[in-house]
Amino acid sequence: MELFDNLLIGLSTALELKNLGFCLIGVLIGTAIGVLPGIGPIPTIALLLPFTFGMEPAGAMIMLAGIFYGAQYGGSTTAILVNVPGETSSVVTCLDGHQMARQGRAGLALAIAALSSFFAGTVATIVIALLSVPLAALALKFTAVEYFSLLVLGLIAAVVLAHGSVARSLSMVLLGLLLGLVGIDVSSGAARMTFGVPALSDGLDFVPVAMGMFGLAEIIANLERPAERHVVSQAVRGLIPSWADLKQAFPAMVRGTALGSALGVLPGGGAALPPFSSYALEKKLAKDPSRFGHGAIEGVAGPEAANNAGAQTSFIPLLTLGIPANALMALMIGALMMQGIQPGPQIMREQPQLVWGVIASMWVGNLMLLVINLPLIGLWVSMLRIPYRLLFPAIVLFCCIGTYGISNSLFNVWLMLGCAAIGYFFIKVGVEPAPLLLGLVLGPQLEEYFRRAMLLADGDFSVFLTRPISAGLLVVVALLLAAMLSPMVVRGRKQALAE
Amino acid sequence: MTRLRLDRRDLLLGAFLVAVAAGALYATRTLSVGHAADMGPGYMPRVVSLALLGFGLFFLARSARGATATIEPVRLRPLLAVLAAVGVFALTAERLGLAIASVLTVLLAGLATRETKPLESMGFALLLSALAALLFIKVLALPIPLWPR
Amino acid sequence: MSRSSFRPSSALAKGLVLAALAGLGLSAAPAAAQNFERPVRIVVPFAPGGTSDILARLIGPKLSAAIGQPVVIENKPGAAGNLGADTVAKAPADGHTLLLMDVGSLATAPSLFSDLTYDPNKDLAPVSMVMFGPYVLAVHESVPVKTAQELVAYAKANPGKLAMANSGVGAANHITAVSMAKELGITWKNVPYKGGAAASRAVVSGESTVIINGSTATLPFVANKQLVGLAITGEERISGIPTFKEAGLPGGDAGTWQGILTTAKTPPAVIARLNAEIGKILQDPEIKAKIAEQGGVVKPGAPTEFADWLKSATERWGGIIREAGIKGTN
Repeated sequence: MELFDNLLIGLSTALELKNLGFCLIGVLIGTAIGVLPGIGPIPTIALLLPFTFGMEPAGAMIMLAGIFYGAQYGGSTTAILVNVPGETSSVVTCLDGHQMARQGRAGLALAIAALSSFFAGTVATIVIALLSVPLAALALKFTAVEYFSLLVLGLIAAVVLAHGSVARSLSMVLLGLLLGLVGIDVSSGAARMTFGVPALSDGLDFVPVAMGMFGLAEIIANLERPAERHVVSQAVRGLIPSWADLKQAFPAMVRGTALGSALGVLPGGGAALPPFSSYALEKKLAKDPSRFGHGAIEGVAGPEAANNAGAQTSFIPLLTLGIPANALMALMIGALMMQGIQPGPQIMREQPQLVWGVIASMWVGNLMLLVINLPLIGLWVSMLRIPYRLLFPAIVLFCCIGTYGISNSLFNVWLMLGCAAIGYFFIKVGVEPAPLLLGLVLGPQLEEYFRRAMLLADGDFSVFLTRPISAGLLVVVALLLAAMLSPMVVRGRKQALAE
Repeated sequence: MTRLRLDRRDLLLGAFLVAVAAGALYATRTLSVGHAADMGPGYMPRVVSLALLGFGLFFLARSARGATATIEPVRLRPLLAVLAAVGVFALTAERLGLAIASVLTVLLAGLATRETKPLESMGFALLLSALAALLFIKVLALPIPLWPR
Repeated sequence: MSRSSFRPSSALAKGLVLAALAGLGLSAAPAAAQNFERPVRIVVPFAPGGTSDILARLIGPKLSAAIGQPVVIENKPGAAGNLGADTVAKAPADGHTLLLMDVGSLATAPSLFSDLTYDPNKDLAPVSMVMFGPYVLAVHESVPVKTAQELVAYAKANPGKLAMANSGVGAANHITAVSMAKELGITWKNVPYKGGAAASRAVVSGESTVIINGSTATLPFVANKQLVGLAITGEERISGIPTFKEAGLPGGDAGTWQGILTTAKTPPAVIARLNAEIGKILQDPEIKAKIAEQGGVVKPGAPTEFADWLKSATERWGGIIREAGIKGTN
């Protein structure tokens, strides 16, 4: 059995004492920086890169990968405890995770996030070992046409992220799309809505917008209603999930893992899709969708699983094709090259020890995260006992420094300030920013893929329907739209009949 | 009691969206639109802005159907204090350095609520400033000056 | 382009003369006299992980040891490298703020961006070229050609059928592709991607069919028979692929040029010291080997050589950009 052999090779590398040590260092550093809003894994890995020159390739890669998924994990902690999303994926965790924390269930939310991540990590490790080659071939079938249809599906699904009126959510998606268009147009090089500000030419950074609209706006609104926020600082009960909690969360974990594993493989899909689409799926499947946004446990379990599974399977294009799926994977390629290893399609044949060692170490690392973090949950939660009058200035300060750290620019701090004001306005008029953030992330890609598809097809719209994967995705879009609009139609008819 | 009562939430949201859409249309007025098969840089902004304009007008129209929910009153103190705290960080971080900027930010943010105790706040600001310097400058090597330069 | 005339300011000219002397080995006296009192920043105007960033992190520690001051690497990405370059252009002129970047972007910036906030030729002082990385011309396996000549013939027979992937509008490989098509009298669709990695992915999957891109990113796919390598820039064959010159293609000096610059009006002695130290670092066998792993060759040189290169590249590429009507902003 080839799979068994491969995993054995991998485990024998990953379980070497020094590699276990590197894995531990990686996940610890990763968790620590993940908890800080804004400071992501990319600058940290860049900072540590020179230190890895003297290490063995396997040890170096295991440590850097550990930083990556450790940071994902730490990001969820901040999202749940203080409602500050440090990256795209944690926005979804904020929605229900922070609501759970406000209800005094922070410990439960953190435990479920850890368990979901570990479960997804375990399954994704097996997926990589079993299916990486066919999945990589599938990923290559995705051209601009398929990506466009996939993103349309993602945007339509985004509407369910908010509760309440479909019209309000749609208008937020559109506003996000519009903000996403700010910057230099990839296809023509023209500057759009940059108002002569050079810092805008690469578009709006996600983190300042998210931290402003979620974290800071929420703080301002919290301070207005002193009675409510004491709930957070109340005694925190239920650190360990009950059997009933697990039973409720488990199906969501499984679905999230499947969705995340599939979407993570696509190198052009972006980290945003797995958690967002898992949340949308859970809300659609739930018997009572109105619980979502008010601390639904599936709203934490599904997206967390999807996120972690996607983060791991995003290594597949790198390991089998030598193609980096995102900036972070590009950095990993840089690290490999510094080790004198030529990344590329041949890497799996030539360096089985390294490749399978890294894959096995992901599972080991996830186990470490679980073991380290379950006991730590109590400590994290006790942070909420810090009086709010001290906690919120600290959050404001860390948001400022973190935002600055993304590209070492004060412009982002000003941008966060503006977004905080807009986010406060949104709270007052009763709209939610989550669909806007998805629009902001996916908008530029949507346009880029559409225009490239048109350029390559000489302006023939039928390509979206003649290519099978794309056609299939668009059928799902049509079904979703019909499902969303039909209640309105039915209601309209009833009203008409009543009159 | 026949005075028309507008839904203020829809009214404000509609006005905001109309303003944003109009601004975007104005800012992108010179970009070439092209046509669907060969879109210029102005195509997407225009399509999205027009759709947004439509939603804005829809909310404005819907606001006339009467108030369904009220807006909680705005309290200026927390709003201004938090925004000012962020602003003061942006103004001072690169000039006065992280140490001073952190203290100023924490103190200003503290003004957002009456619960803040001046002495405690001062001590906490100094503590956070030291922590931030250690963490972001020593450990994470963030290229931001520690003291005025 | 009256705005960006290429006459260096007189201070800079003096600096270049002195630095040229330094390059000739007369540097001992001024170098010893010139000391660094504060930490030195190397600004990399791109995100971490790219070639420029890795080079900076390689050179940084060695430079720190040589000048006895900490060297901090600062990533300032944005606006195709112009944000970071602008920071260095406006820094104090004391040689404590360095810029390490793909200097091809500096040569194209004045022609691509009409609202540039600095003048690459006037506000920055070249210190030393660092490396050159050749480009590979490769096609997807579905294109029925085995040599560069066959590709040219195929393109002539099927005008507009080939899709040439590039790393972005105005990127060096975009301009190389445009000028190549013009000189050979062929047409292909220029398809922009966000960065070199996305472009190579597209050609491996067959979404686009031709690519001109860095050798490290491209050669593994050639080795794995997913792409067919037709020609390589620079002076030497790599993996048996003929050079552009041998294949009869124009543009044989195209590729990634990485260099170090500092703020204009920096005292010539400081530039001379930096040039001498960086020259020494680039001769270090370890650094040479690491740069070779990045698919490049070290190219140390006098500041004047660098300045000449920048001037001629700005003129030549500017001509191509204006002729093809490529715009970085409106």
